[in-house]
Amino acid sequence: MDFKKITLVLKREYITRARSKSFILSTILTPLVLIAFGALMVWIVSGDTDSEKVVGLVDNTEILAPKLIELDADRYTDVSHLPIDSVKSMVMREEIDAYLVLDEVHIETNENAELTYAGSGGLAFTSSVRGDLRQVIQEERLVRANVTDEIRELFERRPGLDSRKLAEDGTAEDDKAGFMSGVGFVLGLLIFIGLFGYGAMLMRSVIEEKTNRIVEVITSSIKPMELLIGKVIGVCLLGFTQFAIWVVMYIGLSIAAVPIAGALMQDQITEMTSSEEMTQAAAEAGFDPASLEVLSIDPMIFVYFFLFFIFGFFMYAALFAAVGSAVDSEQDTQQFMPILMVPIMGAYFINTRVMVDPDSTLSVVASIFPLTSPINMITRIAVTDVPFWQIGASLIALIATFFGVMWMSAKIYRVGILMYGKKASWGDLLKWIRQS
Amino acid sequence: MTIIEVEGIRKAFGKNVAVNDVSFKAERGRIFGLLGPNGAGKTTTIRMINNIIMPDEGNITINGVAASPETQKMIGYMPEERGLYKKMKVEEQLMYLTQLKGMKAKDAKKAIRYWLERFGAADWTKKEVGELSKGMSQKIQFIATIAHDPDIYIFDEPFSGLDPINSETLKEIIIELKNNGKTILFSTHRMEQVEQMCDDICLFNNGKAVLQGGLREIKASFGKNTINLEFEGDGTFLDKLQDVRINNRSTNFAEIRVLNGQSMQDILKLAMEHAEIHKFERIEPSLNEIFISTVGEDNLKAQQEA
Repeated sequence: MDFKKITLVLKREYITRARSKSFILSTILTPLVLIAFGALMVWIVSGDTDSEKVVGLVDNTEILAPKLIELDADRYTDVSHLPIDSVKSMVMREEIDAYLVLDEVHIETNENAELTYAGSGGLAFTSSVRGDLRQVIQEERLVRANVTDEIRELFERRPGLDSRKLAEDGTAEDDKAGFMSGVGFVLGLLIFIGLFGYGAMLMRSVIEEKTNRIVEVITSSIKPMELLIGKVIGVCLLGFTQFAIWVVMYIGLSIAAVPIAGALMQDQITEMTSSEEMTQAAAEAGFDPASLEVLSIDPMIFVYFFLFFIFGFFMYAALFAAVGSAVDSEQDTQQFMPILMVPIMGAYFINTRVMVDPDSTLSVVASIFPLTSPINMITRIAVTDVPFWQIGASLIALIATFFGVMWMSAKIYRVGILMYGKKASWGDLLKWIRQS
Repeated sequence: MTIIEVEGIRKAFGKNVAVNDVSFKAERGRIFGLLGPNGAGKTTTIRMINNIIMPDEGNITINGVAASPETQKMIGYMPEERGLYKKMKVEEQLMYLTQLKGMKAKDAKKAIRYWLERFGAADWTKKEVGELSKGMSQKIQFIATIAHDPDIYIFDEPFSGLDPINSETLKEIIIELKNNGKTILFSTHRMEQVEQMCDDICLFNNGKAVLQGGLREIKASFGKNTINLEFEGDGTFLDKLQDVRINNRSTNFAEIRVLNGQSMQDILKLAMEHAEIHKFERIEPSLNEIFISTVGEDNLKAQQEA
């Protein structure tokens, strides 16, 4: 191994790529696309669409309607004074979205009330109306049953659920499963992007040297293996550079965002008059000052991220390079791509399961199997406490596979880069591995 | 003094034996030609000398050192399939390739400047190779091959794809390098180029070295057994000749190789009966003729058809 030459190759690979327009564009655009995608997801999940719907109440009990309106004045409106036909036509004219007929029987017996709507109702909408109705009927029944205030209060107190995780030292700590599964998924996603994006970049670079016919000149100065190592490390460093830029961008944005967010919150807080109201509002918003602490991430995760990214990338990079060396143009890569696409895409899809169920058999196997472990293990580590032996086994399997793949790929690469104008078949690749 | 020594090398790709027990020596300060038809094993041999691929058997020594990364620095190599990074600037690219050959950055810069100047290409340093014309990028390719000032220059089919001007420039450079005491080895399948330039040759056919030695000695050893005939009139009498092989035949010219010791005077008589003779000359055979007679006509045909 001539490290001086490897360094030359590495430097060329790194500098020419880092200066390229595609690198600069992808560095800027990728976070923007991710943020846009994230925002879209948040918007879809939290989209509070049902609050816009208006329900007309035809109340024959004169008790339930005021209670419902008190519960949600935006949603409910009393139309009891109108004949039922004009209520129906209001729905048809879309002045209101639905109407609900309430009778004594609904309080006294278990008969269901009917919600009538035109157009689409939506499951979320009907179930939330059902919830409101249950609550007010319950209250009214309690009043009529003449129960003591004590019992009534018992019913009014709604039990909640706070989750806590038992740490290894026996102390219960606040569970940050939601946040950490998000972190885990993002880390897995970053490795996925890294393996795929930089792997393909390396493959194109190998093909470029072949189609430009420069590779024979280069191999008259340097061993194919040294060339391959230099290129892999060069592209790997490029990946780290891009990650580092993103981290800096993220930190910069956060620093800029905190004072703005703080100022906005301050405004809201001062608007509240009493401290009681404040705590109530805070509780409703699910905001607890302690929750910021939850956002801190164990730095060990980043060490593992680094390890799994490096070895995962080296392993896949060797495969991508072998494929690149066996073909004459990017179009020809298609016959070999499944061997790369299937495990990487598979790991990505499995990752959505790993995130929600990190200790299932599928998750454990996928996080140890070397072709999927770089993506799946990092997500598991973030989401759950992975036994150390599993991390160890995963890393050992990954490193062993990396050496195997490198050995095989180097043989294909050595022969492939000098094969011009011929599209290699799977059989050819096997022959190349055997013969050299 | 021997500078490249090839001893009993063999290389097979699967069942196809590309080079089979080839040995030869190239002497310092001379021009050595590897000749033979396409697919005879010249490029494979050259790649082994350049330590790009390893022989299955046999040894190669350069300057007494076994072929290795060390010997790669002593050689400037221009492959048959030429190419450069299209998106890299001329000077950066030359710096990269020259430093890979082990030259220090400072010396490399000086050498590159000198050669760019010499080829009238000093203005191109900041241009990307993809922007250059074919002739221009061929010049850059020469510079990439020679800038690190090696002792040995290896060109694989150097004249293929060159325009006449660059072809002439390359010839001049090769002669100049030789006069500076450098050793040049090149391969070609076009025999006439060798006649003008080579001191020593090695003929390849079917992966074997079938004939080698000094060009003059080889030609002399075949004797003046060839007739250069110029005539006017009906040329069909040539078809009646027996025990001859006719090369380079045209309407009023023929190169006739006489076989089996047939009398040349009989041929002259026959020719005079049918046509007006302008020239009848006994000469040494052409390299093409030497190649054919060495390999054997049948052999050659079988190979070309295969």
